[in-house]
Amino acid sequence: MPGSSKSGGAGGLPSPPHTASPSRPLRPSRYVPVSAATAFLVGSTTLFFCFTCPWLSEQFSVVVPIYNGVTFLFVLANFCMATFMDPGIFPRADEDEDKEDDFRAPLYKTVEIRGIQVRMKWCSTCRFYRPPRCSHCSVCDNCVEDFDHHCPWVNNCIGRRNYRHFFLFLLSLTVHIMGVFGFGLLYVLYHTQQLDTVHSAVTMAVMCVAGLFFIPVAGLTGFHMVLVARGRTTNEQVTGKFRGGVNPFTNGCWKNVSHVLCSSQAPRSLSLFVLSLSVSLSPSLPPSLSLSLSLYLTQSKSSLEMMESQSCDAEPPPPPKPELRYPGLSRGHQEQHTEESSLLSKAPPTPTMYKYRPTYSSPGKNHTALTHAYANQMSRGDSLKESSSLLQSSQQPGFRSEPSLDGREAPGERGGGGLGGGGDRPGGGGSVGGAPGSGGGGIPGYSLGGRSYPSFSDPTVLSSGGGASRSSSVRSGSAHNAAHISEATTSTSYKSLANQTPPPRNGSLSYDSLLTPSESPDFESAAPDMSPGRHRTPAPPPVLGYSSPYLSAQLSQQRDAELHQPSASSVALLSSPHRAHYLRVTSSSSPPPPPERERLLQESHSHSHHSQPPPSSAAPQPPHPHHHHSSHSSRPPRFSRPPLLSDSAAPHHYPYRTRSTDTPLAPSTHPPRSPHPPPLGKSLSYSSAAAAEMQYRMVRKASASAGGGGGGGGGIQAPKDEIQMKLLSRTNGQPRSSLSSSGSTPSSPSHPISMSTRPGQAYPSPGNTQSPAHKLGGGVKKVTGVGGTTYEISV
Amino acid sequence: MSTEFHNLQELRHSVSVATKVFIQRDYSQGTTCRFQTKFPSELDSRIERTLLEDTVKTLNSYYAEAEKMGGQSYMEGCLACATAYLIFLCMETRYEKMLKKISGYIQEQNEKIYAPRGLLLTDPIERGMRVIEVSVFEDRGSSGSSHSSSVSSGGISQR
Repeated sequence: MPGSSKSGGAGGLPSPPHTASPSRPLRPSRYVPVSAATAFLVGSTTLFFCFTCPWLSEQFSVVVPIYNGVTFLFVLANFCMATFMDPGIFPRADEDEDKEDDFRAPLYKTVEIRGIQVRMKWCSTCRFYRPPRCSHCSVCDNCVEDFDHHCPWVNNCIGRRNYRHFFLFLLSLTVHIMGVFGFGLLYVLYHTQQLDTVHSAVTMAVMCVAGLFFIPVAGLTGFHMVLVARGRTTNEQVTGKFRGGVNPFTNGCWKNVSHVLCSSQAPRSLSLFVLSLSVSLSPSLPPSLSLSLSLYLTQSKSSLEMMESQSCDAEPPPPPKPELRYPGLSRGHQEQHTEESSLLSKAPPTPTMYKYRPTYSSPGKNHTALTHAYANQMSRGDSLKESSSLLQSSQQPGFRSEPSLDGREAPGERGGGGLGGGGDRPGGGGSVGGAPGSGGGGIPGYSLGGRSYPSFSDPTVLSSGGGASRSSSVRSGSAHNAAHISEATTSTSYKSLANQTPPPRNGSLSYDSLLTPSESPDFESAAPDMSPGRHRTPAPPPVLGYSSPYLSAQLSQQRDAELHQPSASSVALLSSPHRAHYLRVTSSSSPPPPPERERLLQESHSHSHHSQPPPSSAAPQPPHPHHHHSSHSSRPPRFSRPPLLSDSAAPHHYPYRTRSTDTPLAPSTHPPRSPHPPPLGKSLSYSSAAAAEMQYRMVRKASASAGGGGGGGGGIQAPKDEIQMKLLSRTNGQPRSSLSSSGSTPSSPSHPISMSTRPGQAYPSPGNTQSPAHKLGGGVKKVTGVGGTTYEISV
Repeated sequence: MSTEFHNLQELRHSVSVATKVFIQRDYSQGTTCRFQTKFPSELDSRIERTLLEDTVKTLNSYYAEAEKMGGQSYMEGCLACATAYLIFLCMETRYEKMLKKISGYIQEQNEKIYAPRGLLLTDPIERGMRVIEVSVFEDRGSSGSSHSSSVSSGGISQR
């Protein structure tokens, strides 16, 4: 495995991202891991059968080769099914399905599953709100149902339809390896005097291969056994969604296991079969056909269009205002991706955004990976955040092969438990993590797109990006269309931002989309202010307990309450190892998470406001190293600084985006600072960005409206809404708390004023800010937020 | 002549999809396949509430039955494992059988109930089981649409 993974990793970036090509480029590096796995499996077993089994069958019984043959057949069958079976791809949505104005539709929709709020994100590529547990795989460029992960060893996504086969493949492969090793050992033990023969040599070689592969395979098997028992997907596990919380998708251990093993094969979406048909896209119906027939043709045509566009990388979503497009892209790897550059060129450059460019220095080591991922993400129009996270992740050489989801987790988690998801799973995690993150060898199943990817897209980054994206989406001038909020969508981010032109992704992180696929654009355009000073904030805001999609309303409310109480507990919550993601929070829940968030927010604010008065700016400096440690190790009250929420008040609406993007740079630019918890550092920075974003949103709300509802005024409304957003944000939540805390800034009411008085300040897209304000000035829409709280959002 | 013919063709095209209404999934009980029985307001004038709700409830029951984990699905799984999944080449899974049944049901409902009202249900499987798409058709009539009205009237007069 390590060898294979390395080869996969080495070949990771075979060609520059084909941003311009309409179809997915052929990337031979994608096939290296699967070819290596197949070669090892078939080759070793064949040698075993040829050299070892004849003697064994003579010596002991013919059952031995039969048993091994059956096991091998089972392994092969499940391997083939896992490789070639459709994992549960959602076809692209019909154009008509997304007839809502992109500028006005929210980026997130909330849905309640067994009492837990789950957030569904808008997939700009596939043009629908992703169902729960669905995720968009950037490698395959598809939304996959019950997305587990993208496995490079089978070169396929593992989703609802083929998870069983993948799991059985792992189980049977473990048994097969044990059998081969055991029988080989038996052969060698009986031939100790004849070890120089070819047969013995081959047997020993096969034993070596088997022994080498046994450790990671067994580790992965154990990991998935735990996942199956808990009813989680790999994606959910590594992002820590359910850590400390309640998993709404579990039915108990027995039912979970039986669902995986005994449920009927899920169907393949019918429209995917239509791809082969070539039907003209003419919308007009032939007059000779009957009505029903013509109707069916139309439907099939639309399906075909979807399918064709799927391969061609789906029609670009209607471009929102140009300045909205990937505002943060300018920061990123523009030079790498022409398509992104073109997108960027549309965005009016803002001084703040450009500010980041000089500081944005991604380490060369992961740079290509980053840019590649970035290109993919950007082209997808999804995750600017990912790029930022990638930048941050570049700081951590050790986690190359981990899926981007890992980025969400605290670095400590990764270091400790490897992909196994932190310390929770010592068995699986240890074995999985045993293969050092470097080179992705240890975690075969989770290398990203066949390329060792610094996948530690920092969850904080992503989350903050999500938050930023939310606010930015509001900014970008999509009036929060209340009408579109069907299910109490609380996020104010808009699909328009997410629906950037999605050029074909090439082999980016498989988990990236999970983290913050569409949030990066918003995130990127966040406050540019942050950049220069932000590097100084090495202490990343701890991951705010990725509770976003699953936090119950009460939790959000509590957070809101807690925002005003700085405490160390928020830090604990934020630190990656302790993510209470799906918290069923009761209204009386304690303050520890919110205060921690509060703290982190403060910290993040301090980070983001380097330009703030010296006290605030100075404050971040000393604690940075401390933060680093604290976030990494425990959750002591890290932030001795006074709350800087007021500092990080509103003026930085757009700046928040850039800020968030900038913060990832900070860790990158200060490698020494982030020895151990680089992800935390990033998360901190991102959370500050997220906080900024939240503040911005709050400000906007305050400025926008009329709405007095929830807390008495826009300023109060915004925080609550922010909190909702936070909770709902898909990203593993660091920014959430920061966002909420920022929202609760008492100075928020003044934000609109400050906003108006600072025209030049990091308004990446002046039109965006203006338009939302303009649109928001209208009526007030009541939205049922998390936990049933009703928020009035001015529309 | 050609213009006439073109107008006639346009005239025949008197029915077009005016809008599409989407019945979303109901995730309140997890990720099992259920659709919301909430009646979409756009269809208020087109169909009775109970008819659509009955259709959706029946579909929900079919999907629940398809996803039920019982003896049949277990035996299917064991048989598939035993035959190295080659059995899938010959046999239909339980889910696929239910899907065929659902497809037939939807077609029947379309013929009997929805087409007479100018509606058309699309099988959710075509949309990845995410939505039930209800296409609302409007009769344009012989006058044609606004953009073609002058042409069509010319065509009519020529006829």
